[in-house]
Amino acid sequence: MLDKDILKEFQDVVGPEFIDDGDVMTNIYAYNWCTEFVNYMEGKEPIPFSSVPKAVILPSTTEEVQKIVQLCNKYKIKFKAQSTGLGPWNQPSTDNSIILDLRRMNKIVKIDEKNLYAVVESYVSGAQLQAEAMKYGLTVHMPGAGPMASPLASHTSMAGPGFTSPQTGHSARNVLGVEWVLPDGNILRLGSLGQKNNPDWFIGDGPGPSLRGIMRGWVGAKSGIGVFTKVGIKLFPYPTDTKFVMTGHAPLYNFEKPDYIRAYVFDCKSWKGLEKIMLRVEEEEVGFIVSHISGLAVMAIFSYSIEGLMDKMALGVLKNPLLVVMGARTKREFDYKQMVMEDILTEYDLENIVDTKYVPEKVFYAECLRANLGYHGFIATGGFQSAKGQADAAALCLRAEKTNIPLKQKYIKKEAIANDFGEGAWMTSYEGGHFFHMESPTMFNQSDLKSVKGMANYMDESNKQDLIKHLGAPFFIEGDKLHDEWGPHMMNYHNWLRKIKAAFDPNGVADSGFYITAKKEGENK
Amino acid sequence: MTTEHFPEEEYQRMIKMCLRCSVCKWIPQVQIKSQKYASCCPAMDIYDYHAYSGGGRIILALAYEMGRVKPSEDLLNIVYRCTECGNCAIACKYMNTLEPLEIIMRFREKLVKDGYGPMPQQKAYTEAMKKVNNPYNEPHEKRVDWLPSDIKVDPDAKLLYYVGCTSSYRRKEMAIAAARIMNAAGVPFNILKDDEFCCGSPVYRTGDVESFKVQLNKNLDVMESKGIETIIFSCAGCYDTFKVDYPLYREYNFEVLHTVEFFEQLIEEGKLKFTTEVPITVTYHDPCHLGRTAEQYEEWAGDELKLMPLVSINIPPKPKNIGARGVYDAPRNILNKIPGLKLVEMERIMEYSYCCGAGAGVKSAFPDMAIRASKNRIEEAEDSGANILVSACPFCSTNLQDGIKESGSKLKYYDISELILMALGLEPEKLKQATAGGS
Repeated sequence: MLDKDILKEFQDVVGPEFIDDGDVMTNIYAYNWCTEFVNYMEGKEPIPFSSVPKAVILPSTTEEVQKIVQLCNKYKIKFKAQSTGLGPWNQPSTDNSIILDLRRMNKIVKIDEKNLYAVVESYVSGAQLQAEAMKYGLTVHMPGAGPMASPLASHTSMAGPGFTSPQTGHSARNVLGVEWVLPDGNILRLGSLGQKNNPDWFIGDGPGPSLRGIMRGWVGAKSGIGVFTKVGIKLFPYPTDTKFVMTGHAPLYNFEKPDYIRAYVFDCKSWKGLEKIMLRVEEEEVGFIVSHISGLAVMAIFSYSIEGLMDKMALGVLKNPLLVVMGARTKREFDYKQMVMEDILTEYDLENIVDTKYVPEKVFYAECLRANLGYHGFIATGGFQSAKGQADAAALCLRAEKTNIPLKQKYIKKEAIANDFGEGAWMTSYEGGHFFHMESPTMFNQSDLKSVKGMANYMDESNKQDLIKHLGAPFFIEGDKLHDEWGPHMMNYHNWLRKIKAAFDPNGVADSGFYITAKKEGENK
Repeated sequence: MTTEHFPEEEYQRMIKMCLRCSVCKWIPQVQIKSQKYASCCPAMDIYDYHAYSGGGRIILALAYEMGRVKPSEDLLNIVYRCTECGNCAIACKYMNTLEPLEIIMRFREKLVKDGYGPMPQQKAYTEAMKKVNNPYNEPHEKRVDWLPSDIKVDPDAKLLYYVGCTSSYRRKEMAIAAARIMNAAGVPFNILKDDEFCCGSPVYRTGDVESFKVQLNKNLDVMESKGIETIIFSCAGCYDTFKVDYPLYREYNFEVLHTVEFFEQLIEEGKLKFTTEVPITVTYHDPCHLGRTAEQYEEWAGDELKLMPLVSINIPPKPKNIGARGVYDAPRNILNKIPGLKLVEMERIMEYSYCCGAGAGVKSAFPDMAIRASKNRIEEAEDSGANILVSACPFCSTNLQDGIKESGSKLKYYDISELILMALGLEPEKLKQATAGGS
């Protein structure tokens, strides 16, 4: 709870109904998915509750956010901002913290269809923005977490892959102008938004040096470097026509397939073949989804229940599967893309199982377009989380995947994680194959203590393996402990990160549990 | 079927499984057509805090079980500011296997058992129900005051029209319309008059299961003693309670139909013939209790097969209520058969229809919340291009009409049975009013 006088000051900012420091509300906000194994990894009790915030506050404007942050500085209270709120990164790391739930900041400020960008506030979801952009024949880089997640959070503060990354890239590459409440309470407007004359959102860099790297770097600061209240983000042509007609009932809606959409799933038969074919498909720029997933994941993306998943065992035998979904706006474009794919299939002697060996439910295509495929990962055990998270060349991503298999199998044998033969993986390209992302989704049971502990140990060992085998940095290297472990092996980046933190957050009020604190170099050694 | 449809161990397991993903705040992701009408949860729209979402309530249930929070006014306000519309459950169960609505209902039941729930206003109507058989605290002997003398009731008929408290005391036009339609079709029907008691839905949904069971037994005793073969309901809430909830506690041997299902049959059989043009543009509001929550629990007596560590399947698969078996086609088929009538749809319909805002004790304990939710729905109805809002539930009717009044909307509201009467040529004055100001 907050001291009464301090509470009053916060109430004066947002109104008494939009701050709650009671036990009930603060405990609800202390919960999140995967917090149990994060707690265990940090040597705490493996329960799904983090530190309990002192209060939860719901600002509605940038000015209110600014005043809240100023009060946090005044009273040395940390703050943690969250939007749609999926995952432990939204949790405070100390009980001297308040949560800013940005739920009321949910406006689509504008859609500039001519210049292909939209400006959104924090709580606009991916599906909401896409639905509105579709009215102009456009789409957006959808968060990898799913269409219910916030593009602003994804673009400014989190890792950035998504199912449509071959077309729409990485979150960091989609950020344009940004309105940013710094940890000291100042408002910084990045890129063209910072211009004196005619400020607008169309570019994120300059005038002067770009701050995009400082703002979010590769995986974002998870609110550890301030609060992002508005962001300009790129829009892209929607891959197909935008009719999006749905009849019937959940979950197997009858989706009227757009005129020009087609899915391919084929077995590349070997790791080398997979690399070659994936690069080739990307080079041709025919798919808006180009994802390598495991055989089990192929079963999952076509399923809507665990029983349905197990019915598709025949698909699970695919050794090195690749999913390609293409869309087109004209028949000419569609014919061309299909011909390209036919050439590739012939050249590499591949067999497309879609519509030959397996006919997907119609709603599958709607899920591809809405970027809802990731949610199928929860079907088997109700919980999963990914290890790895490399962003690199295809070869390194595949090496990381291969080397992870024996490790995963070790934990499968221990019955800590579910059996995906150790192969569970998702790999996508960015921007037509210029670089790639790989993560290793792992199914566990968050309500089973043995599974939680096993998952935590597996994640820890997977991180260490990446370090020892030079497989690049996983995306969940967060917090002082892991940065201190990894920094010395990676040109001491952590020291620079600390300098940034110190410069931007002199009072250390932006909760850095999933970022880095400004403690002096070597302090942790 | 027994209360074991949702065993305590399932409750205890599920409250630990929320992903906190926020899916429960929106209609199914693939159904979102605009930002404005993406939301599925009235409580979230009004109170904003995550606590008010389906997931937030699951977390609260867990925090309560773990002893992290104690019963308090704050806790009760969160638990009871929910219409139990079940939209969060549809969104969640699109892919997941959690049961947010079952968890919310069980949590309330626990709070009542522990001596904390329901809310004071709900306790008051529970007492009224016990005393005078209706939650409105109206005299029991006035229950049939709605019945005009020219309506024929057949005391020997095996078809029973269960009027319900709201139609008997508050929305008499619905009771009258239903009865007139049956007279027009030449279908003999009976009503229970003094022997009709509250179905118990208002208390069941606040967690007072013991008081509910008393009502259930009173009603079933009467119906069984009269050898009833079919009961029809114009109230979606009563219908849902009889169809879905009663069998969890006591089996019965009669058929249960909502008037829209029954009237659709009469139209199909040619017993009701529409003779009059009704040139209006309407949009139809799916009541939660006639739609997504009106799915009966299916018996499941299979086995759980552990395929591998952490992964089990049910053989045969356990039936999952996901709203697909609600009554959606019958009202639409009726409306589409009315000559001259144009039906336009809102964005949120059928299993992901937005709630009117009244249910599960909210209208009584949190009238402001009920009105604000209703106003959201009214705006959506206006945006559909319709000038008439139609539904099939007296409780939705009351709250939506309150919302129309409060928002100053020009929308008119009719129950579907009133439109049927107009099409039968039996309500020329009402038809004139409905068409006044253009269609």
